[in-house]
Amino acid sequence: MDSIVRTTKLHRIIVGVLLAIVAIGMAYPMVWMLLLSLRAVPEQYGSLADLMFAPTTTSNYTDALGSDDFGRYMLNSVIVGTIVTAGNVLFCFLVGYAFARRAFAFKALLFATVLGVLIIPPHVVMIPMYKLMATLGWINTYWALIVPWLVTPFGVFLVRQYVASLPAELEDAARIDGAGEWYILFGIVMPLARPVLTVLAIYVFLSNWNSFLFPFLFTNDEAHRTLPVGLAFYVGKQSIDWGHLMAGASISALPILALFMMFQRRIIEGLTAGALKE
Amino acid sequence: MTKRRALPAPTLVLLLPWLVTAAVFWLYPLVYAAVLSFTKHSTLASTYEWVGVANYTNLLSSDRFWLALSNTTIFTVGTVPVTTALAIALALGVRGQSPRVASLLRSSYFLPSITSLVVIALIFTNLYARDGVINALLSMVGMAGPERGWLLDTSTALPAIMAMDIWISTGYYMVLVLAGMENIPKDLYETARLAGATAWQQFARITLPLLRPTLVFILVLNSIKSFQVFVEIYVMTKGGPLGATTTLVYELYHQAFEQSDMMGQASALAYIIFVILLVFSGIQMHVLRNKTS
Repeated sequence: MDSIVRTTKLHRIIVGVLLAIVAIGMAYPMVWMLLLSLRAVPEQYGSLADLMFAPTTTSNYTDALGSDDFGRYMLNSVIVGTIVTAGNVLFCFLVGYAFARRAFAFKALLFATVLGVLIIPPHVVMIPMYKLMATLGWINTYWALIVPWLVTPFGVFLVRQYVASLPAELEDAARIDGAGEWYILFGIVMPLARPVLTVLAIYVFLSNWNSFLFPFLFTNDEAHRTLPVGLAFYVGKQSIDWGHLMAGASISALPILALFMMFQRRIIEGLTAGALKE
Repeated sequence: MTKRRALPAPTLVLLLPWLVTAAVFWLYPLVYAAVLSFTKHSTLASTYEWVGVANYTNLLSSDRFWLALSNTTIFTVGTVPVTTALAIALALGVRGQSPRVASLLRSSYFLPSITSLVVIALIFTNLYARDGVINALLSMVGMAGPERGWLLDTSTALPAIMAMDIWISTGYYMVLVLAGMENIPKDLYETARLAGATAWQQFARITLPLLRPTLVFILVLNSIKSFQVFVEIYVMTKGGPLGATTTLVYELYHQAFEQSDMMGQASALAYIIFVILLVFSGIQMHVLRNKTS
């Protein structure tokens, strides 16, 4: 018996070491990014050693934020991300509530549009969406980066499932007390739905921050590019200056990294909710 | 409570944001794409000419389409099973650790899936370069990587991006597998242990069968995602070298936005991709229905 306990303990340690090696492998590329971003990389580097032993500097960051527009990209990402997140929390709540509590004509059909849109691959609509934005004159404006994404089918679905699972008694009681519908909506149901709205906000903000395809299609000037788009174009602009490039990459990744450190559990919950709620 | 009678909230007002968004930004584009796929459309002259199914037949008889389909299939078939197997292995390992260690590992594995794909693609472009870390490591153990770097060699470019994709997504799917494992009743394992079942028998007879719905779901979800691989390709190789990494969505982007008169054919391609993905979604719905019943 004693030997069995010992072997399982040993076994657990061996597995633990293997898992730690995998963890290092997972973290390594990010660490490499940070290392490079702090190196004054020679323009023509011949070997890895040139890179490793280049002098340490923070000028890559000051350059990226100063002369290379990364400050502007970051501002755009923050503006777009904040508005889209706020829009989703508000509108997905309103629509999700309606689907959970109200009775209306064509309800099943309309809910089917939510589920239907959920499975439309964005690439299928990218050509018409581009033409629509061009017709509206929204190319190179914040409108194109914000308006189409203010309410997402995933958010509607998530809120609807959650609100439907809440007991309706509180709302009924308030209604008997003479509370108005808007008060019931924002004063009673919204506070109760806070957990799902938090998860939704995290999910929307993260996916918006990292979103590439549509911001990439809808902008072609520096002033409206978001971080991922600016970064992707930066590659073509420079004769690959890795120090600069990795400083730009770090600027894109670090805010999310910081958020993740603070809200790990909520974020993992939020990003897997879509898969698990089904 | 005050007997304040606020304005009523008509259902239509509540639904309006969704109705407008769905109609203008999803359903109209979907229909427009369908119409476009039967026309020859020149972006410059902005003319439309009805051509029937010509876009579809041209596409199906072009080598580029079959190359892109084959690359995309290789990408999907080569990454999805590996990612899933690794996710299961890691989940089993993580579950055996103490809660604190498990949570630490879970976070570290999850990190790549919240990082911008553009950022990751750039880091790996550096790692895969001629003088990059991977070639340096290989030469340390006396092996030689591709001379011009992994992404510039027709035989290694696609596998290199596939390996990166596995690295990105394994942690995400591991979290889903862990959640699936949580739902398996603990006393099943207790009973099995008392009956003298080995760890491997417990895995094969209890964990794997009861995890089946989760696994099928993960396989479908990952297949749908992998079939639309684009950002990595755009950032790392632009479909090259010599079309070695041209995937369906990359080809769609190339025809639609880098050519002046192929939007019609690109729309046809978009619809072909859509139909393939609908088949995946159909499998998913079928499985989910079985899961709930």
